[in-house]
Amino acid sequence: MMTNAKHPALVGIICLLFLSTAHAQWNVPERTQAGQDVTIRASLDVYVVGPGFAAKLKPENGSVTIKGDQLRNAGRYLVSNGQNSAVMWVEPSEPAKLNFLAQPSRVPAARPGVISGTAFVFDNNENLVLSSTPVKFDLRVEGAPTISRTVDSRDGVAWIRSDSSRREGNAEFTAAVGGIGVKRIVRQVAAEPCNLSMRARPEKKGILVETAPVRDCSGNAVPDGTIVTFTQLDSKGKTTVDARVKKGVAAALLPPADSATISVASGVVMGNEIRWGGRQ
Amino acid sequence: MNTRTILTRIGLLFAVAVIAALVAGTTLAADNAAPVQLSIGNAGPREVEETTQKAIARDYGRAWQSMATALANSDPAALGDDWTGIARDKLRAQVESQQRSGVRTRIVDRGHRLQAMFYSAEGSALQLRDTAQIETQILDGDDIVGSDTATVNYVVVMTPSADRWQVRILQAVPSF
Repeated sequence: MMTNAKHPALVGIICLLFLSTAHAQWNVPERTQAGQDVTIRASLDVYVVGPGFAAKLKPENGSVTIKGDQLRNAGRYLVSNGQNSAVMWVEPSEPAKLNFLAQPSRVPAARPGVISGTAFVFDNNENLVLSSTPVKFDLRVEGAPTISRTVDSRDGVAWIRSDSSRREGNAEFTAAVGGIGVKRIVRQVAAEPCNLSMRARPEKKGILVETAPVRDCSGNAVPDGTIVTFTQLDSKGKTTVDARVKKGVAAALLPPADSATISVASGVVMGNEIRWGGRQ
Repeated sequence: MNTRTILTRIGLLFAVAVIAALVAGTTLAADNAAPVQLSIGNAGPREVEETTQKAIARDYGRAWQSMATALANSDPAALGDDWTGIARDKLRAQVESQQRSGVRTRIVDRGHRLQAMFYSAEGSALQLRDTAQIETQILDGDDIVGSDTATVNYVVVMTPSADRWQVRILQAVPSF
């Protein structure tokens, strides 16, 4: 009776020992870092499937080694020996690369929230670095104070919206993490003309109208080619002439008139009005 | 009605039947897509327009289907235009790795809960979090040699192309 009663217990102990040994032999790490070798004790073939990689590895001297270059990609790897399966997480390494999107490439000066910058933080294996990382954004244009902000990335992405600075010119827009920086150029151009004014004088063939240097509200000269519209209203009707800004000013020759009202505009901006015919 | 006419008509009917079957098959494949739910509560700075929401859910589901097909058959062509950039490179590498080793991966996709996290001001990139119900099987030949069923979290970046949103980054993470 005693012998019979001991058998089930003995079998149980043997089973427990076997299971614990098997578990100890299946030492797949829960986590590892991208690019590092991983060695797993194994007596059977080991199958590994993960981002960018799939393999069947034969054990040698009781183990298999997954090479670091086979574990470059961060993510979830399923490892199996045909009997047991385990999940191994490969984590990204340190930030080593930034992808930086700066939009748009050309903006008006002194415009709020018009520039957007988005930085994606990667390690040296093109894995998104998901831990929060401070990204420093600088918007620098010569002769104006640098606009600077630091934003912590979330899920590998950091972004800002920035005002354009008051000065026209090429703005250097940079994103940086540690010693890694990426630069983009944002061309800042004069905004809409501001305080548009003109004067008029008689010429042989008509009335010559000419603007003062056309500038935006920050004092930047509007680009040559900007259209300025002169309109003359007299007893014969209405005459409209579109003129392009050239070397900072726009000019046009309007038809002769004894008495007329002349106005000037550019886009939605109206300038001064001249009453021609003895009184200006 | 001569024999030739009858044969021509039978041929036409057969062609119509084949086309109908193909169309039905396509519809069936589309209907087989795992459910994709999208919430946009946390997205910014740009608002995710309704048409974009529909396109994202549709194209993300389709991308998972093409990935599952590519990995199940070790066929990189199955990825189509649903993947781009880093994500595409990594999937191609995985498929090529499968071709070399004879190992295949079967994904049983049971659905996705997507949460939009960031939509760039100019609309050129959308970042999402995906909580997916996935069963993964490793196949050696036709034998299942490993499997796992789990809720898996992914960080996703999608970018627009001419006719669809493409998956540019798909990275599984232990938790959000």
